[in-house]
Amino acid sequence: MSAPEPMPAAPTALLQTHDVSIRFGGVQALRDVNIQINEWEIVGIIGPNGAGKTTLFNCITGFYAPTSGRVHYRGKDVTDLPVHQRTNLGMGRTFQNVGLVKSSTAGENLKTAQHLEVDYDPIAGIFGSPRTFEVEQHTTDRARAILDLMGLAHLESTRVQGLPYGVLKRLELAAVLATDPDVLLLDEPGSGMGPEEAEELGDLLLKLREEFELTIVMIDHHVPLVTRISDYMYCLNFGEVLTEGLPDDVRRHPEVVRAYLGDDPDEVH
Amino acid sequence: MAVDDKELTPRDTEAFTPTTAGRVGRAGAAALIAWLVLCYPTNILSPFTVGGVEANAASEAIIFAVIGLSLNVLIGYVGTISLGHQAFVGIGAFTSAYVVTEMRQEFFIAALIAALVGAAQAALLGAVSLRVTGLYFGLITLSYGIMTQESIFQIESLTGGTAGQPAPRPIGFESDFRYYYLCLIVLALVVFLDWRLIASKGGRALLALRENPRVAATWGINVKAYTVLGFAISGLFAGLGGALLAHRDTNVVANPFGLNLALVFILMTVIGGLRNRAGVVVGAAFFALLRNGELLEILHVDSLFARDPINLTAEVMPLVLGPILLLLTITLFPGGFGQLTNAVGRWLRGGRFRFVKADKEVQITDVRA
Amino acid sequence: MVLAITLSELSRVLVLGVINGAIYSLIAIGLVLVYKASGVFNFAQGEFGTIAIYGSYISITTFNLPYGVALVVGLLAALSMGLLTERLVIRPLFDAPRVTLLVATAGVALLAIGVEFWRTANDPLKFFSSIVNSPSSLDRVSPFGVAVSDQRLITLGVLIVAAVLLFLFFRSPLGLAVLAASQEPVASELVGVSVRRISTITWGLAALLGGAAGLLYAGGSQFSPGLITAAVLIPGFTAAIVGGITSLPGAAAGGILVGVLQALGSLSTFDSIKGASFVSVFIVLLAVLLIRPQGLFASRS
Repeated sequence: MSAPEPMPAAPTALLQTHDVSIRFGGVQALRDVNIQINEWEIVGIIGPNGAGKTTLFNCITGFYAPTSGRVHYRGKDVTDLPVHQRTNLGMGRTFQNVGLVKSSTAGENLKTAQHLEVDYDPIAGIFGSPRTFEVEQHTTDRARAILDLMGLAHLESTRVQGLPYGVLKRLELAAVLATDPDVLLLDEPGSGMGPEEAEELGDLLLKLREEFELTIVMIDHHVPLVTRISDYMYCLNFGEVLTEGLPDDVRRHPEVVRAYLGDDPDEVH
Repeated sequence: MAVDDKELTPRDTEAFTPTTAGRVGRAGAAALIAWLVLCYPTNILSPFTVGGVEANAASEAIIFAVIGLSLNVLIGYVGTISLGHQAFVGIGAFTSAYVVTEMRQEFFIAALIAALVGAAQAALLGAVSLRVTGLYFGLITLSYGIMTQESIFQIESLTGGTAGQPAPRPIGFESDFRYYYLCLIVLALVVFLDWRLIASKGGRALLALRENPRVAATWGINVKAYTVLGFAISGLFAGLGGALLAHRDTNVVANPFGLNLALVFILMTVIGGLRNRAGVVVGAAFFALLRNGELLEILHVDSLFARDPINLTAEVMPLVLGPILLLLTITLFPGGFGQLTNAVGRWLRGGRFRFVKADKEVQITDVRA
Repeated sequence: MVLAITLSELSRVLVLGVINGAIYSLIAIGLVLVYKASGVFNFAQGEFGTIAIYGSYISITTFNLPYGVALVVGLLAALSMGLLTERLVIRPLFDAPRVTLLVATAGVALLAIGVEFWRTANDPLKFFSSIVNSPSSLDRVSPFGVAVSDQRLITLGVLIVAAVLLFLFFRSPLGLAVLAASQEPVASELVGVSVRRISTITWGLAALLGGAAGLLYAGGSQFSPGLITAAVLIPGFTAAIVGGITSLPGAAAGGILVGVLQALGSLSTFDSIKGASFVSVFIVLLAVLLIRPQGLFASRS
């Protein structure tokens, strides 16, 4: 896949962090982190383990409250909003150790993920108003459609527990898409993948961006993958932004190379 | 349809049609079950004669089924423990009795108020559970249950003191037989509500937040609000159960609502099989009948065990059998009675009779955010 | 409510409170041990005590064994119950959610109570003789002018001995292994500590402590099925939580504290409040759970 098509207008800042810092006990996990994600961009975040990448995601999505600094979404300060309300605004997120309801089926997971889209009051749902049945059918149909899109339709009635890791990751992605997000924050979507799989993942993400008009922020250790599909990159180290810029510049930056312990950046996994 | 029914192998899903004999057998079995539930306890279309005492015992089984479904919402869907559930039921019982006797309202209003009061106090506990979690919350429910019995239920103006609060039966349902049907109607209502809960966004939200609250939040679920809602629903069902219990006995006293009853409720719900509606209903009914001696009587084995040297009387039998069944369910047969009802249900609907062992409880591991 | 409390009433209540508290400490220490080993509140802890009582009682009445031997039999009965529980219930549920395990221990307690009812169906209420049985020895010692029976003195003595023994045990290699396994099971396995063996030892120890608590509590009084669970378990839990569920010295101190608080509730000034001593324990439990769940003496992990 080639470079993304040129944007018609000036890019809008969708997501911004302003001097976000967070401290856990004696450890400064993030220090004055400023990042900006523009609409429809794919932004890559790399850095060695422990650099604070997931911590940053947690601050953005609302699982952690920063010790100082603000998070802005579409210009609005969301720093004090709880997680589920940020999802309502359009944030979608995946987890390193795969966020799914393992005791339910794939289909049920997809229906649960549509929670905000399901258009009736939960109390009305309990009393079984006629509307509920209608909306439920629509929800089931939509769940099937998304599963089909990700090639997982055959697993609709299968319990998630015990499915292979790669399938789980795709299912998690399907579930996040079901929340109808504007921005996807993906935490190591490529973990456990070999080079060919990582290539396919890259293609998939580019395709999803087109089809769903998404903005994507991804943390990953597959530097070639991240470099190929990103429009912009950040490298974190020791809780700070080490450098940022266009993918090729970041990849070749001497500090970045050093941060990965002197390895050739293309070999980093 | 049971929520846990996911262990289908290819042999199950391949097209299977029963023979004519098979169909007749299934229809006969279904009719027999229907007759057992609808006709036998009330002597309608029945060659047997059953007394009012037995009908009341059957009512108790139905009421326990309602309470089992209530506790199932808390333990099975919300994923918390309630060692004081008898307080939920007791509050429903006393409320209903009070509303009918002191406030001179109809039973149906009283039952509704009992349900709402049950929901409200449960919601309060739900709010507490947001601050104190897991095993510690279990201890709080334990304290709550015992305290309620020792203090609130002792307030004479509300609960009538040692004489208890009278709770007359509603008009049209005075006889033990008619009352049994009333209980069945309430059970049907509760089953319907529970079915719709699970089939709707509310139930899905609960199941998600039970296993993985962070993922639930990421999917837009307000975990705190839905936790409290789950508690409220549980309290609603328990309040209804309490109201039914009150008017079955026509008088409510504080004495039975102690820790022992709380443990009985947990026993029967876990033995029934968590998150399995049919299993919980059958398990609770089974346990109620075991406890009041009816089951052993019906099977004519009550004297068998009571003889020397076994010396296991009908009163003591549930005290020994119950915990054994509980431990067996937890360690070896996680699906409890639900495994049985699943198999029978599948068979009745035209499939093979297959006894599928349920998966062990999924270890509740929250994602590391 | 007249607040006149005589000094003698107060001292009597305090001394008895300390001695009852000693029994709660034994139960609480058992609870903490199990919590550290299996991560669960052991609802069966009280029944270790009741089973010990029944074991001893049957030895005396049916088999005519001497008192001392009967006590040992009782402790062995408790020990077997503990080991059986660990093997048949706790170990298979190693990976299960903690709440499931909690329900399982409640099931074990209920089973024990059921069996107790079964074997005594005709005559549930029995009398268990005290350790020193001669009437003249009663009330021989009187600290602060309070008459204390020999039975109660022995109780206090047993707790002190148990405390010393446990202190020494947890300094020994085996004891250190138990502590290590409770804090870092994976690391412990890697350095050769068998977590399974530790679990067995811990439950055995907890069962012995529970058994001892039961035998001491019931000495010289009547008992019935489920006695120790009904009378001692909740105060024992409160003691363990007040002390910080992971702290052994905290459990011991918590027990004494709870005993004293409960005894204060039995002062005549509180006669008008029904079940005041009962309620006082609950208030403490609730207060600790809501305000400072990690307990008053929690060790920092």
